Amino acid sequence: MLEARDLYSFYGKSPVLQGVNFKAGKGELFSILGRNGVGKTTLLKSIMGLTDGIKGTLRLKEESIGDLPTPERARRRIGYIPQGRAIIPRFTVKENILMGAFGREDGRREMPEGVLELFPILKEFMNRRGGDLSGGQQQQLAIARALALGPEVLLLDEPTEGIQPNIVQQIEEVIVHLNKKMGITILLVEQNIPFARRVSDKFIVLDKGRVAVAGSAEDLTDDVAHEFLAF
Amino acid sequence: MDAFLNQAFAGLSMASILLMVALGLAIIYGAMGVINLAHGEFVMLGAYSAWLLQTSLGLGILVALPIVFLMVALVGLLVERGVVRWLYHRPLDTILATWGVAILLQQLVRSVIGSESRYVAGPTILDGNLVLGGVVMSNYRIFLIFFSLAVVAATWFLLKRSEFGTKLRAVIQNKEISECYGIRADRVYALAFAYGAGLAGMAGALITPLVSVTPSMGTYLVVDAFLVVIVGGVGSLLGTVAAAGMVGEATAMFSMLMNDTIGRIAVLLAIIFLIRFKPMGLFPDKVRR
Repeated sequence: MLEARDLYSFYGKSPVLQGVNFKAGKGELFSILGRNGVGKTTLLKSIMGLTDGIKGTLRLKEESIGDLPTPERARRRIGYIPQGRAIIPRFTVKENILMGAFGREDGRREMPEGVLELFPILKEFMNRRGGDLSGGQQQQLAIARALALGPEVLLLDEPTEGIQPNIVQQIEEVIVHLNKKMGITILLVEQNIPFARRVSDKFIVLDKGRVAVAGSAEDLTDDVAHEFLAF
Repeated sequence: MDAFLNQAFAGLSMASILLMVALGLAIIYGAMGVINLAHGEFVMLGAYSAWLLQTSLGLGILVALPIVFLMVALVGLLVERGVVRWLYHRPLDTILATWGVAILLQQLVRSVIGSESRYVAGPTILDGNLVLGGVVMSNYRIFLIFFSLAVVAATWFLLKRSEFGTKLRAVIQNKEISECYGIRADRVYALAFAYGAGLAGMAGALITPLVSVTPSMGTYLVVDAFLVVIVGGVGSLLGTVAAAGMVGEATAMFSMLMNDTIGRIAVLLAIIFLIRFKPMGLFPDKVRR
């Protein structure tokens, strides 16, 4: 589905990723773990084409996407939910969700099916400004926006970071639902190791811009967690 | 009293021209953050386009308006694609570059068409005046007022209701995430710039029956248009309308009470005073981030 081979990614002239390899299969939940500053966010940004440049190959469904401009990657149905969520503050909730559909090739600009059942709170706040929502609500909105794109792959950057605890569990359930029930391939950057271990099919641990460990969920042992993830 | 009302009406019709120039600026400067010093030259090109269409093809101003809009929008598109798009994150360089474009356009017109004043006839259908008591209002100026309001309504619709406008507002607020959802930001910027230029061009065409057409006619207008955008509050259509009315009226009133030069100084002082107390303009757009 989505794979990188010997991927270097740059901010200015400094390579933040240095030869990353991974391959996420169709329908998999693929976790990207590691301490702060090892390149997890950069990896997601590189997939969207938001860094200053890459070397190596980046392929989606056997097609090389490394040279495409960002909007073209979105049109290949990659939904990106960045850290901090990047809700458009002056847009209403409705406008924020429908904005996701601008990346659709079929020209449909509709509220994605089932989203309002997934996030009832958004239905209530449909005409409020995105900037007036709480962090947790914004996160739900960001996921709804990504679903409006009709994504085959979702890139989630620390979706539960800085969110009130009662919503964290809800968001985790939604992520599992999107992956297991709707069959969307998910790349998940996560600090919450127990959650990642519980839901991931595969994972990689980044360290200083390189892949330190790769494996499937059962390989994510306490030793690995202690060596690469503990602070 | 009649003199006062006549002057107020003259101010209102000047304000409506100003409004169309400022609307384009409000989009280009307010929305995209580009200080476009060539905006006045778009007005000038619009005026010369109207003149050209009238003298060569015999088209009246009203018929020529859509053509003028497209012609100047095309020039705007070329300026954006050729110059401005390389400078979006370098505001100071943009000022210099667009100033250069302004000089270039002025000289080009001077060399090709000549520097003497040109005159364009107003539309005969709008000849005559509407007389209310002692107030004499020319039909053409009344038309200008309504036309400019229609342009505001169309712009409002374009920005708030059309897909293009939604994309533009998205890109303005967060370019990166907009691109992540398939919006081609460079295309949106180019079209917005062209639209702003086209509006300026229309304003230029419409002002031709009231002033003489010269290569430097835009310079004076663009200063007032910048004042309007600043007074109105960046990014606010309502503010732009209100501020255009205020600047137009203030100029007319001060000019009547004193003389044109002193009136101008008084307007500038009044604006400095206003900005001192409302630095974000009359209608700042507030939102939690």
